Amino acid sequence: MASVSLKKLDKSYGALRIVKGIDLEIADGEFVVLVGPSGCGKSTTLRMIAGLENISGGEILIGDRVVNRLPPRERDIAMVFQDYALYPHKTVRENMGFSLKVRGIAGTEAKKRIDEAAEILGISHLLDRRPGQLSGGQRQRVAMGRAIVRRPQVFLFDEPLSNLDAKLRGQVRTEIKRLHQQIGTTIVYVTHDQVEAMTLADRIVILRGGEIEQVGTPDDVYNRPHSVFVGGFVGSPAMNFAGASISGERLVFRDGNFLPAGALKSGHSAAMEGREMMVGIRPEHFVPATASDIQISVKVQVVEPLGSDTLVHFAMGQEVLTARMPPDIRLRPGEDLKLGVDPSKVHLFDAASQKAVA
Amino acid sequence: MPISERDETHLPKWTKWLDLSDRALAVLLLAPAALLLSLIIVYPVARLIYTSFFSLSLTSGLPAEFIGLENFALMIDDPVFWETLWNTVLITIITVPGALIVGMALALLANLPFATQWPVRLSLLIPWALPLSFAGLIFAWFFHSQYGVVNDVLVRLGFEGIIWFNSPNWAFAAICLTIIWKTSSFMALMILAGLQTIPRSLYEAADVDGAGRIRQFFEITLPLLKPSIVVALIFRTITALQTFDIPFMMTAGGPGTSTATLAMYIHQNTVSFLDLGYGSALAVVMFALSMAVTAVYLRIIRAKD
Repeated sequence: MASVSLKKLDKSYGALRIVKGIDLEIADGEFVVLVGPSGCGKSTTLRMIAGLENISGGEILIGDRVVNRLPPRERDIAMVFQDYALYPHKTVRENMGFSLKVRGIAGTEAKKRIDEAAEILGISHLLDRRPGQLSGGQRQRVAMGRAIVRRPQVFLFDEPLSNLDAKLRGQVRTEIKRLHQQIGTTIVYVTHDQVEAMTLADRIVILRGGEIEQVGTPDDVYNRPHSVFVGGFVGSPAMNFAGASISGERLVFRDGNFLPAGALKSGHSAAMEGREMMVGIRPEHFVPATASDIQISVKVQVVEPLGSDTLVHFAMGQEVLTARMPPDIRLRPGEDLKLGVDPSKVHLFDAASQKAVA
Repeated sequence: MPISERDETHLPKWTKWLDLSDRALAVLLLAPAALLLSLIIVYPVARLIYTSFFSLSLTSGLPAEFIGLENFALMIDDPVFWETLWNTVLITIITVPGALIVGMALALLANLPFATQWPVRLSLLIPWALPLSFAGLIFAWFFHSQYGVVNDVLVRLGFEGIIWFNSPNWAFAAICLTIIWKTSSFMALMILAGLQTIPRSLYEAADVDGAGRIRQFFEITLPLLKPSIVVALIFRTITALQTFDIPFMMTAGGPGTSTATLAMYIHQNTVSFLDLGYGSALAVVMFALSMAVTAVYLRIIRAKD
């Protein structure tokens, strides 16, 4: 096991700068998830750690070693690819044993390691099959098995669940988490799926446009987003945003609804007076009017009963917002609705900079 | 749903004759293709085999006479048949692996990430697109003892020029080199197509697994190229067994019959001597040879599966 350090890491293709001076310290044994929309540089960063992409600037350390110029095989890492990258002409055992064979580990030692890994992943019965004879989930496990047998310092996962259906994705996600708890190796994991990031990570790194937007525990990024982007990216359904400004003791929305500014999590100061704000409220932080004294009046547009709860979409001025309500709520489109809001759960962002107001 | 289970109550009566079983429908749908294939493949082959049992020489003025296997018996005592058959087999044994090796090298080269791909692809396509007889003519000039570029290079390098087409061995070598040049681009194109189906991530996985370039070639590239290579080999072997144009243009089979192939001998018998019976028998042998080679390759493919 080893720590991973990225120092001012840069990647450009010609004039196009994909990764812009990323600094990140990943502790030994930590599970870090790089997450962000397409093109944010997360896969490129992972591939640079793996040595599959040259770096344009900065430094990568695995343990105490600078690995900038080392080929992948000398970095002591193992990688699970998005398409699994299993050798189709080799059996599962040969796939898992290939890296051992290349490193001159053969015979009983190799067999022991493969059998152990297969046991951990529950694929012992598949060892003599070829990848073409396996289901997507089984292939995924073999890809992980291939990584495990190496006993590397760091595991790298590049969107490993994106080729699986939703049900299987949930299962394998749990398995990856269990695997990390069991073997404790440092993991750097890339995904565009914030649910994966939230469920798996010790720490989440949210990337945007080649830069780190926020690093923190799942609780941090969910409850204390540093920017509108992070607030909107993490959580499903996404955080609601509405324009507002502070006027005296009130946070006034554009449609006239208001919240008491003094009760806001961020507090309020005279400096905020009159400033254009973006208010972020998570759908689950709206409550039925009876549960809170602080209320807003809105008009229901669409109601989506999900069984476990009901999503209510409503208009606030020009913006359409979503509230997650109890399943037994009965509402009709067009109906006037009073919604309770807990101001301590309301996030305030500066409308111009899009950054959280401290 | 089988057709017989359809709800037919709303259909007019005259449509009843359309109520075929699934099997009959399948036969009906396949019939046009089967008929076409019969016309363009089965009939000519059957006609060839049929003619090979006859004495049919257009120069004799005699009507065709059924002689059973006599044409084939004649072949056994015909030294030219054996010589041309041997030449054909030798050309196949030399030029097929030769083209495979050169083609593989070209394909690996063309598969490199060049900034501009089209000149590489074009240079691969040109030899393949040239007519065989044209390639034969060009190379006949290349190997010309006085004006040829090959001798020019040899002399500049301090060797003696070779009178290529006067010696059976040198003439044969010149023909084989020409065939390899002409056909390796086809091999390269087939292998390149195969190479491009190998996902890049397999090489990346092998990089991470610790395999170097040579190991990657033998452990990943070569095994995954096997299907493309076998298909290319089938095509190339069959066309090698039918070699005609290049030796015809370069040496016309000479000196003597030392570079004549079976296809040239068939051509000579049927076109020059108008002996259709014997020519057909020779062609049947060539057909059987091609079939046998194909069967062997297919068996290899199946064994690997």
